[in-house]
Amino acid sequence: MVNDTESPLSPLSMLHISDLQSQESSLKGLKRRSKIIMVFLFIISLASVIQILNLTVIDQENYVTESEKNRIVRIPVYPSRGLIALSNDNSVIVENIVSQKLTISLNSTEDVVSTISDIQKSIGISQEVIQSFFNVTSSSSRNINLTLIDDMTEEQVAKYLLHKERWPSVNIDAYLKRYVINGPLFAHVIGYTGAISSQERQDVEEYRYLIDSRIGKSGLEKTYENELRGKIGYRTLEVDVHGKEVRELEKVLPSKAKNIFLSLDKELQELARRELKGRKGAVVALDPNNGYVKALVSSPDYDPNILNETAKGDIKFLISDTDAPFFNRAISGNYPPASTLKPFLALLGLENGLIDWNIKIEDKGFFQINGEGRKYRGWKPEGHGAVDLKKAIVESSDVYFYELAFKTTVDKIYSFLKPFGFGKKTGINLVGEGEGVLPTRNWKLGMTGDAWYVGDTINLGIGQGYITTTPLQLAVAVSVLATKGKVYKPSLVERIDDSFVEPILLNQVRIKDEKNWNKIEESMISVINSWNGTAHNIYNKEDVLIAGKTGTAQIKSLTEENLSVQEEYEDVRRDIMKRDHAIFIGYGPIPNPNLAVVVVIENGESGSAVAAPIAKLLINNYQRKQDSDV
Amino acid sequence: MSNRPLDYNLNKPFSSSRFSLSLIFKDNILVFSVLVVLGFGLFMLYSASGQSESMVLRQLAYAVLGFLGMLIIAQLSSVAYQNILINLYWIGLIMLIYVLIFPDDSQVTKRWIDLGLFSFQPSEVIRLILPLSIAAFLTRKELKPKYSEWFISLMAVLLVSFLIYKQPDLGTALIVFASGFLPIFLTGFPVLIIILSLILIGIFSPFIYAGLSLYQQQRIMTFFDPNADPLGTGWNIAQSKTAIGSGGYFGKGYLSGTQSQLDFIPESHSDFIFAVIAEELGLLGIILLFLAYAIIIYRIFFIAFRSETIFGRLASASIGFIFLIFILINISMVVGIIPVVGVPLPLVSQGGTSLATHLLAFGFVLSVKKRSGW
Repeated sequence: MVNDTESPLSPLSMLHISDLQSQESSLKGLKRRSKIIMVFLFIISLASVIQILNLTVIDQENYVTESEKNRIVRIPVYPSRGLIALSNDNSVIVENIVSQKLTISLNSTEDVVSTISDIQKSIGISQEVIQSFFNVTSSSSRNINLTLIDDMTEEQVAKYLLHKERWPSVNIDAYLKRYVINGPLFAHVIGYTGAISSQERQDVEEYRYLIDSRIGKSGLEKTYENELRGKIGYRTLEVDVHGKEVRELEKVLPSKAKNIFLSLDKELQELARRELKGRKGAVVALDPNNGYVKALVSSPDYDPNILNETAKGDIKFLISDTDAPFFNRAISGNYPPASTLKPFLALLGLENGLIDWNIKIEDKGFFQINGEGRKYRGWKPEGHGAVDLKKAIVESSDVYFYELAFKTTVDKIYSFLKPFGFGKKTGINLVGEGEGVLPTRNWKLGMTGDAWYVGDTINLGIGQGYITTTPLQLAVAVSVLATKGKVYKPSLVERIDDSFVEPILLNQVRIKDEKNWNKIEESMISVINSWNGTAHNIYNKEDVLIAGKTGTAQIKSLTEENLSVQEEYEDVRRDIMKRDHAIFIGYGPIPNPNLAVVVVIENGESGSAVAAPIAKLLINNYQRKQDSDV
Repeated sequence: MSNRPLDYNLNKPFSSSRFSLSLIFKDNILVFSVLVVLGFGLFMLYSASGQSESMVLRQLAYAVLGFLGMLIIAQLSSVAYQNILINLYWIGLIMLIYVLIFPDDSQVTKRWIDLGLFSFQPSEVIRLILPLSIAAFLTRKELKPKYSEWFISLMAVLLVSFLIYKQPDLGTALIVFASGFLPIFLTGFPVLIIILSLILIGIFSPFIYAGLSLYQQQRIMTFFDPNADPLGTGWNIAQSKTAIGSGGYFGKGYLSGTQSQLDFIPESHSDFIFAVIAEELGLLGIILLFLAYAIIIYRIFFIAFRSETIFGRLASASIGFIFLIFILINISMVVGIIPVVGVPLPLVSQGGTSLATHLLAFGFVLSVKKRSGW
């Protein structure tokens, strides 16, 4: 290329020599200055180049993800919650019904606070909702709809329609509401659903519960939350910057939620509830041959629909009730088994060779260690006279079992009763089950700091003292008597959709002489059938054959020192007479029992008069139904 | 030419046809590079505008008119423009005063003049007119400028910058000041004075800042710290960075940039078109664009440093620098290392005013080049 400026023929060569010199120097100056600017700009451009490489090379992955997040939105599609039905007749007891709720779309609301207070004035919103509402708005993203009123009444709908132009971002949405048919009847089994807490949302992040999702809070609703909620589906959308759907990329339909079928028998459940008459207490009936629960009633109860309807609040009156309707006595109530423990202890005595069916003792109405010291009194002041094992069970001789307990140790009692399910959770499919107490020396030391006394063991002889059981535990133990040793895990659920929940045999209690099972059963039949049996009041020769045992339990706080040998048992009895619980355990019909029943009525005072008739009613009724089915 | 044998040209095939083309273009490399970038710009604008044919056609019209204007300007010798360029300053000044007195309500920062047939933004024009007129003024005598001339130029630049700052547009005011100061610096304005002024500004800026009203302070703060407004400018920059980063090495493909096509990039057709290029064509596209730009800039300086007049040299070097500075400012803004200022990507961004003025300026650069026979 030709360098023009060096050409002598340039027209500018006509200029004066000094001008030429000046030109040369100005060119040099210009080049020098240009270099300064170039270096300066080079440094600036270096920053841009580094940034470009940073974005496109080093952080590329991040930004690809970021841009995908921008454009792709996954909208969860929820299946409707599974139904709960009874397995025997497929009748639905928990369903979803269409209801209306008032919702507000936060990001299209100009002035949230004034809108809320306006609705509050016109329709009325509960204070709790407003409170939780402002917690939500201050903490999380605004891109959500929030529920203002759940399950609107017709009046509320009308009021809304009257003013709806004032609140363009507020709408009525239809939704499915959980509804328990015969609400209170199944309250303690079904439990209830409630608004999800932020903690629960975090715990199961993979399910993507919505902020106003409802979740099982207790009972089967909680245990089977995973099955009942189903598997979530998705719509994957491509959206533009305004969140407008451009196209649908993918659609995964939600898989249907599972329906749960219960082993409960509605008639037995109704019968038990009716007979409890709202008194504090519990009834548990299960099929000893497989552990399926046929009735599980805790009284008093509540209507789960109140909780299903309400977002929050409105349950204060239930919580503050001193009779504790929320408390599931059937699985969580700890009661001393009292005399109902005697058949089990009799087996222990026979097994360890401490007693046999022929040995008789003289029941003078009280027991003393080596004939001296403190008197342990029986329930009958004058005593039962000469008592063998059968009579001791039939008449519920306390003295006989004081002596038996005296001959054994707490360690042997513990190891013999443990396989029956005492002192540990049965594993029923409900949350909040109690463990009961099957005491050991260490247990007492840990609880009271005191050593185990002989007197403590003697108290165990009549099912008092430190031992407690839940009605459900007792029902499992009774089933073991009924099945001659089989321990099934109790279960409320017989089927999930079409797949059966197989019974689980937890344990097999074996004794040296199998005949003793039958002899114990005979004694327990005599409790009802013999003229001297403690539950002879329920005897009716047309009825099916029932084996049973009454109990009258004293509730005495375990931490109270005075329930020990230092005190006259008689005095304790008299003082707390009013607080005795009536208990009855039983099973039938003999010889092929299909129902094991435990009835506990707090402050019922008499196991025979109050508890036993309910058990008999259930067994009879259930048998009649079985017969008619055949 | 004198060094070569006489039959040099005759020995070359097709020399006659090349001769005729370079007769009009004067510098084929520069003109072709400009055409490549223009074509590329229109191609990208189609994608960035959401495939708006009308916008592309409008831009094409400006490009054709600007290109013709460029070729016309290129035909005369640059010396002919010197007086016109000096007086252009006054025209620019009048335009700025006009938009201050009759503000256009539609846009706050970019003021327009509507001439019925077409409307344009004075500040876009001023950015190029000012350095050219200053260069013309300083080189009237083919001598190193006197201090008095520097002083007059400096005042002229400050006046224009102040008027733009009043619009109010601090960002553009700073850019206009920088481009106006460019020829002053290139003519050898003492570095000592520059350093001293910078120190003085450094010392007094806190006092000046304190003296401003709260509103003005806020405006300055958002200019220097866009993150202070995370839902506005900050969000835009984040989207722009996401677009560039997600483009990776080879881009998501023409018309397939999700950030661009789904409107996540703000002003994707104008100031932020670079983000669209990066997202759809990737690092490769960026490098190719940079190469084309580099050739243009190289040719401008090539012509500048071979010019026989101080005026030609200074004016075309200024144009070269301003072209480079605008590219740098736009890209630095789009990649998020400087605050957002209204500077389009030269020759590519949508906007007729910017496109036309750049092309006319290139026309001037071509006029500086002596028509050579090659």
